[in-house]
Amino acid sequence: MSIDITVKIGGEAGQGIQTVGDLLALVCRKAGLYIMAINDYESRIRGGHSFFQIRIADRPVTAPHHKTDLLVALSRRTIDLHEKELAEGGLIMTDQAEDGEKENLVSIPINDLAVEAGGKITANTVAAGVCLSLLGAPFNLYREVLSEHFSKKSDKVIQDNIKAAELGYKAVEKRVFHRAFHWDFGQPKGMLMDGAKAVAYGALAADCRVAAFYPMSPATGIMAELIARSDVFPIVVEQAEDEIAAVNMIVGASFAGARAMTSTSGGGFCLMTEGLGLAAMSETPIVIVNAQRPGPATGLPTRSSQSDLLFVIRASQDEFPRFVFAPGTVAEAYESMLRAFDLSERYQVPAIVLTDHYMHTSVWLNDTELTVPDVVERHIADKPADDPDNYNRFAVSTSGISPRIIPCTGEALIVSTGNEHREDGHISEAIDDRIAMVDKRNAKMKAMTAEMAPPEALFGDAGTLLVGWGSAGGAIREAVELLRDEGYDAGALLFADIWPFPADAVENRLKQCKRFLMVEMNSTAQLGSLIREQTGLAHSGTILKYDGRPIYPVEISDGFKRIME
Amino acid sequence: MVDVNDYNNEYENKWCPGCGNFGVIAAMKDALVKQAIAPHQILLISGIGQAAKLPHFMKCNMFQTLHGRALPIATGARMANHDLNIIVNSGDGDCYGEGGNHFLSAVRRNVDITLLVHNNKVYGLTKGQASPTSDMGMVTKIQRHGVISEPFAPLSVALSLGAGFVARGFAGDTEHLSYLIVEAMAHRGFSLIDILQPCVSFNKVNTYAWYKKRVYKLEETGYRPDDFEEALRLARQWGDRIPIGIVYREEKPTFEDKIPGLKEGPIISRRYDASKVKQLFT
Ligand SMILES: Cc1ncc(C[n+]2csc(CCOP(=O)(O)OP(=O)(O)O)c2C)c(N)n1
Ligand code: SF4
Repeated sequence: MSIDITVKIGGEAGQGIQTVGDLLALVCRKAGLYIMAINDYESRIRGGHSFFQIRIADRPVTAPHHKTDLLVALSRRTIDLHEKELAEGGLIMTDQAEDGEKENLVSIPINDLAVEAGGKITANTVAAGVCLSLLGAPFNLYREVLSEHFSKKSDKVIQDNIKAAELGYKAVEKRVFHRAFHWDFGQPKGMLMDGAKAVAYGALAADCRVAAFYPMSPATGIMAELIARSDVFPIVVEQAEDEIAAVNMIVGASFAGARAMTSTSGGGFCLMTEGLGLAAMSETPIVIVNAQRPGPATGLPTRSSQSDLLFVIRASQDEFPRFVFAPGTVAEAYESMLRAFDLSERYQVPAIVLTDHYMHTSVWLNDTELTVPDVVERHIADKPADDPDNYNRFAVSTSGISPRIIPCTGEALIVSTGNEHREDGHISEAIDDRIAMVDKRNAKMKAMTAEMAPPEALFGDAGTLLVGWGSAGGAIREAVELLRDEGYDAGALLFADIWPFPADAVENRLKQCKRFLMVEMNSTAQLGSLIREQTGLAHSGTILKYDGRPIYPVEISDGFKRIME
Repeated sequence: MVDVNDYNNEYENKWCPGCGNFGVIAAMKDALVKQAIAPHQILLISGIGQAAKLPHFMKCNMFQTLHGRALPIATGARMANHDLNIIVNSGDGDCYGEGGNHFLSAVRRNVDITLLVHNNKVYGLTKGQASPTSDMGMVTKIQRHGVISEPFAPLSVALSLGAGFVARGFAGDTEHLSYLIVEAMAHRGFSLIDILQPCVSFNKVNTYAWYKKRVYKLEETGYRPDDFEEALRLARQWGDRIPIGIVYREEKPTFEDKIPGLKEGPIISRRYDASKVKQLFT
């Protein structure tokens, strides 16, 4: 029997539901299971309603499940809102109901047990204990996780939590839950990772030295990860006065020789667009992460979206080459950062990594081996030292790439500007210079396009392909499985490399299918528009979700069936 | 030996004849030569405007950036390499208007750079609109009935935010300005020189003659720039008598001093260590 169980913990912000979820995830990992967890919360610090939903499986799972097997309700509202999502035979565990209210209700006085264990603060440990006990997890496993988790705290804290765990276990000792299973899956299969961590680790592996940012959900998590590691890694992180400063700081840092990045969300990215143009004009490599959230202006700060695709491809006035990546998994997010840093320096262009709230705040068990470069190649010219007087920062070349040097490291002088310029970097309004510089910058596009990986094909020879990009890929993947299990001739194309658009490869792929449907978290199918623009091929249907919530595989498979009927 | 000719380049100068910026560039070259700094040892960073064009007219490392953004660029450059010797050239519109927030933050951070604001009290490059420092009542083609806002007071603002080196120079007194630049560059931490710079094309009020009648040198009055209250008073003095010179000086830990990661030297000079990355995954 395969294991695929969803536990949903709901309550108010500030109640620590995330801690319950974290503990479950740690125990599952230790038991050799796979997990995928989402975090749903409002833009407030206390109160409201939020939940953490963890899917536990014995094989890799890439998206959340729409049914809940075990609902942990730390607030009455959780029951009201989510009861209807219960799977058959599902249970509600709560401290909010009188005993025996309903058959599928397990009433546990979580807070009383916590107080008995040593303090209210252990309530989350009690709650996780109840869940694990119901699911049949060996107590020892939980005890080990607690000892590790609280290893930096005092003995008393550890003992209190173990006591709390015991009380939680005992409280449901006699209850038989039909979803309980035998916990024996061998060694941990990998590492728990959310998107924010993956992006930050990718930046560290890419040897990012300077980061600047202005706080904005959901991008701040990346910077928190970098700052937490700035004692060990050679990196300086600065909270800028605004996003305009943040992007310009990293342009300055890169100009001065450091790999540099910033991260933000749509509104902040709007403010960065002039700086993006400066990086392009001065051919200064930078990496910007845009973690998307829905809505123009402030939108929905704690929700997710894929609606900035066309924006980041075109952002800033005029035309210039740039890279845009939209990783779909945490492993891809990590690798995208490595590539973004490397390619932006190789081609001296800005690189944008498009992620989103869902990717940043969801947790996966990553079992993919991640690249760690032994050396980081910087693509900095050493030649000018031989002939400093004839050094031209923007020397025209067939590749469009000119020798880049670092200021004040030798005799050669670097002259650079955001104005249109001559080969030597001084301002020029001459017709020849303008044309030469535009052509030189654009000349990079050919080789840049060749760097782009074609979209990943799943059952690429299927009659109908679901086409998507970025983090929606996880749900699309599972939707394809669902559909094929039901006998549909479905496949998928998943884009992670967006720009320069790998048009030839996409055209070849799409020409082979009967039809393709766009699956995107926006209201106009932006990738669909781009595909049509770049290949002339049009999609024949869309499955779009723009309510800010994650997309579930069944929503895609249902949409597919609706369109096919 | 560094010679002033080392700093001359062949790029055509684009300022109006008689512009106060000529005084500023002469003072800068003089100050750099006096400190025996060669062109490859200095980095000029500027924004956009007539003032911000200055780096093009000097042979040196330079990055002319965006309107208002020279300070964050310079801050980022120092984060990467705090051995860099950086002078920022900016205009009053560039620095106090478009880049106002960056100005406030750069002062508060105490980034170790020297900021020269060529304050012509007008937008030169865009042909004579009022700037943040234009005096009330100044008439321009756009401000037809005269400027109606209070002028931005750079020296008082910098002082109130804790700036450690605050000075005012005059483009019509190159020798004095050169002395100020040398002092500002020697100062550890953020240093501001607000330079009274006549714009012969668009500012018909604050001319060379207007200034010459009014400016006096603080150094000649026996003033010692370590009295904060007195500095605040002098910073606000305007009208019949306008002080030039070092208004306030106080060394404090710099932005770079306060970042633990920079203790071992410039961050770009540190080594990449793959084993540390691998440890992230254990
Ligand atoms: C984002 C942006 N807005 C507006 C401009 C147009 N602009 C160029 S210079 C300038 C003002 C220059 O005034 P100031 O900084 O005082 O310098 P000056 O030319 O007087 O030396 C303006 C508004 C621009 N280049 N960029
Ligand atoms: S417009 Fe004014 S500031 Fe600009 S170059 Fe002419 S005189 Fe100088």
